Amino acid sequence: MLGAQTVRVFLVVLGCTVLAAPSHAYLDPGTGSIILQSILAGIAVAMGILRFYWYRLKAFFSGTTLESEAADSKDSEIQNDI
Amino acid sequence: MPMAADDFDFVRGSGLIDELHSRGKVIGEQIVDAALLGEHAADAHYVLEHPRLPFVSYPYEWSFSALKAAALLHLDIQQAALKKGVTMTDATAYNIQFIGPRPVFIDSLSFRRYQEGEYWAGHRQFCEQFINPLLLRSFNGIPHNAWYRGELEGISAENLSRLLPWRSRLSWNVLTNVFMQARLQNNSGSDDAIRKAKTRKLPRIGFEQILHGLRKWITRLEPGHDGKTVWQDYATDNSYADDEAVNKRRFIAEFSSAVKPALILDIGCNTGDYSIAALENGAELAVGFDFDHGALEYGYRRAVSDGLNFQPLHLDAANPSPNQGWMQAERMGFRERANADAVMGLALIHHLAIAKNLPLAGVIEWLVDMAPHGVLEFVPKNDAMVQRLLQMREDLFSDYDQANFEEQLNSRARIVKSEVVSASGRVLYWFDRH
Repeated sequence: MLGAQTVRVFLVVLGCTVLAAPSHAYLDPGTGSIILQSILAGIAVAMGILRFYWYRLKAFFSGTTLESEAADSKDSEIQNDI
Repeated sequence: MPMAADDFDFVRGSGLIDELHSRGKVIGEQIVDAALLGEHAADAHYVLEHPRLPFVSYPYEWSFSALKAAALLHLDIQQAALKKGVTMTDATAYNIQFIGPRPVFIDSLSFRRYQEGEYWAGHRQFCEQFINPLLLRSFNGIPHNAWYRGELEGISAENLSRLLPWRSRLSWNVLTNVFMQARLQNNSGSDDAIRKAKTRKLPRIGFEQILHGLRKWITRLEPGHDGKTVWQDYATDNSYADDEAVNKRRFIAEFSSAVKPALILDIGCNTGDYSIAALENGAELAVGFDFDHGALEYGYRRAVSDGLNFQPLHLDAANPSPNQGWMQAERMGFRERANADAVMGLALIHHLAIAKNLPLAGVIEWLVDMAPHGVLEFVPKNDAMVQRLLQMREDLFSDYDQANFEEQLNSRARIVKSEVVSASGRVLYWFDRH
């Protein structure tokens, strides 16, 4: 389960850097803004991973199952501030 | 099918616009017969009709909190849109208008289908038109209005990064959205950098996180150098209960219940006391104008917290917003928009005629031109306020007296009623324009 989620997250990070997006811009978004967004998104995803391991560590020491912790943390992970 | 019409169908089919409209966030729209526009709509796939806005205003006239409310509305809409597979083509502040203190999004064509992995096209514009002007006030204590009026596209990260105090870098959001963006923009002019940027993708979760992070941050921004204590001063300083204020409110109440204006302009509104008197007595919407940023800020907060249909806007009466933008016709000047059912000019004319050296006849004409009915206040020279204006200068104003005031008003309007409202001899005039 850990493997599947980690792989998904890394694929997203990978997707962030290698795949081509169609460009149909009504407005010049500015290269600075685009690079910044990719950095911010990368950090957000990295924090998601850290958070995942943090819950895993907590689960290990508190003896609860990873599934219940992960379910509890799902919403807060999405809402994590960057 | 044209691309815009395809997007239009997709966005309407998603239910987004209905949902946002039902929550008061976007303006209503109705598809009408294209024949209504005749040859202007010969090639149009759809013709839309929106309800008419009672008053159009621009971000360079909004108070800090109004600009902040508009920024949060834009983020709310983009967040809601993303959930339905929709994104926005831009992030311009001019797509937001106010009805009273409530911001509403007005551009139906800003929505299109979201493509997985695409960037937030409006990020830079959102920074320039919302975040950077807010930061200028928040960190430097400088209101955004004058700069924004001169630079209609807002404030660039590069310019702002030269002004913000060093401590602002301690904020992760300022560091990234201002300093890093300015640096990246400067370093990214090469073809290579542009090619690389074009091939990047932004995962949807990253997009959502950016929006969520910005929303949380902007919610916490407050005007700098004039924090909460000053708002409380405005609340306690007002002389709402003294005889003069009571007399004025009674006069405005009588005027408003007789005229019942759908829109009343309150020139020199201060924190909105007399707009409120008008609203409580038959006026539907009051749009106030003042020079004092603190008063506007307090007035806006008060309108929000008390649910008043009152919108306070920034105006330097000696230099109102001009016609500007493309062909000088894109953003209308104050005069072009200042047509209402009623106008108030209380405790105002002496500031213009004496402190600003403007001709009394011109000031009265300017005010009377705004509406067929109104109330103007004459403040005599012996009043403490006028004495204060004259304290440090020579009295050059031989034509500033009550007789001349009445003569000027009479030449343009019929005086319906007048009343002395203070011991110093301040007089209110209710007029009907000729």
